[in-house]
Amino acid sequence: MSRRAVQPQGEKVQRRLDWTFPPPPVPREVRHARPAAPVPGRPPVLCVHGAGMGAWAFDRWLPALAAAGWHAVAVSLRGHGESPLPDRAAITSLRHYEHDVLQTITELPAPPVLVGHSLGAVVVQRVLERYRSAPAGVLLSAPPPDHGLALVAALARHDPATLARGVVGLRTRPRARTLVGPGTPQDEAERLVLRLTAEPVPAALQVILPRRRPLIRTPVLVIGGGEDRIVPAATVARTARLLGTRAHLFRGMGHNLHLERGWEDVLEVVLTWLGRTVEVATPGPQAP
Amino acid sequence: MANNPTRDGEGVEDRHDRILVIGAGSSGLTAAKNLRERGFHVDVVEREPHVGGNWNIDGSASRVYDSTRMISSKPFTQYPDFPMPDTAPDYLHHTDVRAYLERYAAHFGLDRVVERSTPVEEVEPLARGFDVALTGADGTRHWRRYRRLVVANGHNWAPKWPTYPGQDTFTGELLHSAGYRSGDQLAGKRVVVVGAGNTGCDIAVEAAHRAEVTVHSTRRAYWYAPKYVLGKPADQVSDLIFALRLPTRLTQALFQATARLVVGRYERYGLPTPDHRFLETHPIVNQQLLYHVGHGAITPKPDVAGFDGDEVVFTDGSRVQADLVLFATGYLIRFPFLPDGLIPGGDRPRLLRNVLHPDRTDLAVIGLIQPDSGQFALVHWQSVLLASFLELESRAPTAAHRYLREAAHQLDDRSQAGIDLVDSTRHLVEVEHAAYARDLEKDLAVLARRLAAVAA
Ligand SMILES: Cc1cc2nc3c(=O)[nH]c(=O)nc-3n(C[C@H](O)[C@H](O)[C@H](O)COP(=O)(O)OP(=O)(O)OC[C@H]3O[C@@H](n4cnc5c(N)ncnc54)[C@H](O)[C@@H]3O)c2cc1C
Repeated sequence: MSRRAVQPQGEKVQRRLDWTFPPPPVPREVRHARPAAPVPGRPPVLCVHGAGMGAWAFDRWLPALAAAGWHAVAVSLRGHGESPLPDRAAITSLRHYEHDVLQTITELPAPPVLVGHSLGAVVVQRVLERYRSAPAGVLLSAPPPDHGLALVAALARHDPATLARGVVGLRTRPRARTLVGPGTPQDEAERLVLRLTAEPVPAALQVILPRRRPLIRTPVLVIGGGEDRIVPAATVARTARLLGTRAHLFRGMGHNLHLERGWEDVLEVVLTWLGRTVEVATPGPQAP
Repeated sequence: MANNPTRDGEGVEDRHDRILVIGAGSSGLTAAKNLRERGFHVDVVEREPHVGGNWNIDGSASRVYDSTRMISSKPFTQYPDFPMPDTAPDYLHHTDVRAYLERYAAHFGLDRVVERSTPVEEVEPLARGFDVALTGADGTRHWRRYRRLVVANGHNWAPKWPTYPGQDTFTGELLHSAGYRSGDQLAGKRVVVVGAGNTGCDIAVEAAHRAEVTVHSTRRAYWYAPKYVLGKPADQVSDLIFALRLPTRLTQALFQATARLVVGRYERYGLPTPDHRFLETHPIVNQQLLYHVGHGAITPKPDVAGFDGDEVVFTDGSRVQADLVLFATGYLIRFPFLPDGLIPGGDRPRLLRNVLHPDRTDLAVIGLIQPDSGQFALVHWQSVLLASFLELESRAPTAAHRYLREAAHQLDDRSQAGIDLVDSTRHLVEVEHAAYARDLEKDLAVLARRLAAVAA
């Protein structure tokens, strides 16, 4: 019945790279928003930002989540926001980000719901495979679990100059109109572009190139923007299909569902889904 | 409760489908966490008033002493889904391990599940399931009935005492490392430490600082691995060598060359040359022992031959006067609450992947390995294996029995990467971590396929 049964692999026990070259420690920027009246038994919600962003990307969502009764947390991955890179970073790749998220999880009082946006959603997919106690995952504008080649095609169509600069290794930022949907005013979009920082090449390449598909058992909600010019709606739909679910698409919105005009509607859908998924369902099969 | 079973007129509380985990050390905690994650209902009973087992120095069966630091570095030791904190050093002090385990228990909600101060006294197997006698926190004994049992009582607590001629009439003090807690016990004494396990070497080093005289007696000459090589924790470097998957002899030669480079020739320190190849004994990770031997603070001696009044006699005929003989001679595998023979194999338990009972689907042991590396990570995967197996068993009992039959050939395959271990009781449950991880990964893939097949 579900496509999830198609997933072939078992667990990833051998993690040679992490055993022999463990990610060097860094201090992490972690922002919290706590509800005035916490709901007992509710898990925290941990948000992971996308490429070139930081914990600040959830500045709108955190207080809104807290107002809805959730302990909301956002972390800046190393080299983003206020989280520095280690002094002598050789390579920064997705496994380093995975480490940063796991470290943040261990500091929380209970297994959190994991929210990831774009590159952060790829990181969250990796974490969901490794950390199976998360009660739920929310993936915003998420590249598929196996590769993100469609991202290159989308950029070639909508913003070839940015793609060209990226390919020859120049520092680059996408155009404002590439980044957000039509509903967001130009000046807001420009301000967002100015906040972006460069994403290290190895991590960005990992998002695009074919990679091992993680085995995920956690219930996930996949959301995309109908006008997303970075991870197009059809690609988000593919992500959902490979994870055994269906994508929820917001017409008129672009790549930054949590920052663009209309973010409240997106959050509303997330809250409704969380209310259903986290508070009612118990994970896994019931012992007979 | 009208229709509950009884024993000798006493009520037996039927716990139906809950799984009982015995022990809340690092193994019982991860067993409970992984079973719960798969949707099973779990009870955990723990004899001590706290969780953490061996790593809580206040526990009656804890065998750590105040200088204990881990010998395996963080990436090999930590649970894969709950890494040790970035702020902790490469090798944790036992107090940090305890704090880590307490945070693990709290994070995964096990704090509320573990029944503390509740020892299991006796287990009686039924045709399917078990009656379990417990003493509750209020001191009263009662019986419960469970369908499934997971034993995680640890295997580093029952002291193994050697016996030598004249031991009974020795005028000094005899102590097993099980009773050793702090260097204060050595202060100002003439001490003979017997045994070159990790504990024996730690105590010899401590004695070099505190005792008046320190003699270290070892049965054979061992390889002493350093804690750091090239500025990195040595296990992280050696795993690189393992990763090459070279022929065993070449791997051993590479290790020996590394040891030569870092440590030098043991003969220079007045130690005998190892009589076996590297990796053929459980690794001893100690960088300070040779330093103190080289400075004359520790006198190496061969095996003990016997005792004579206030003297210890060694197999080379030499004698020393001693106030304290400290046997760091290891621990025995014991399941005092289980009937004899329930776990097959006697002293060398025969379990599938050291976890599953070859004939019974209602009994498993978690944590019964001695890896050449960290323990928690591998025991986490043992628990995932058990949870997958029980999920298969609860969906399709015949498929689970078939799995046991088909896996039976593994019983003699001990995940030792083709290395022949020196025959010694310290290697009864020894596994080589990389080979064991590989084997568990394979088993888990097989179980995942079987589960998918019964779900389809
Ligand atoms: C000195 C020393 C150093 C070590 N260093 C390392 C290291 O560096 N790295 C590493 O990975 N490992 C190391 N180990 C191995 C260590 O044993 C494991 O790390 C780990 O603590 C074993 O956990 P466990 O849960 O299997 O057993 P334990 O920690 O012994 O826990 C067993 C639990 O079961 C409980 N129990 C027992 N019987 C009953 C009963 N009848 N009813 C109820 N509860 C019961 C006990 O109270 C205890 O809490 C070391 C061990 C020692 C002694």
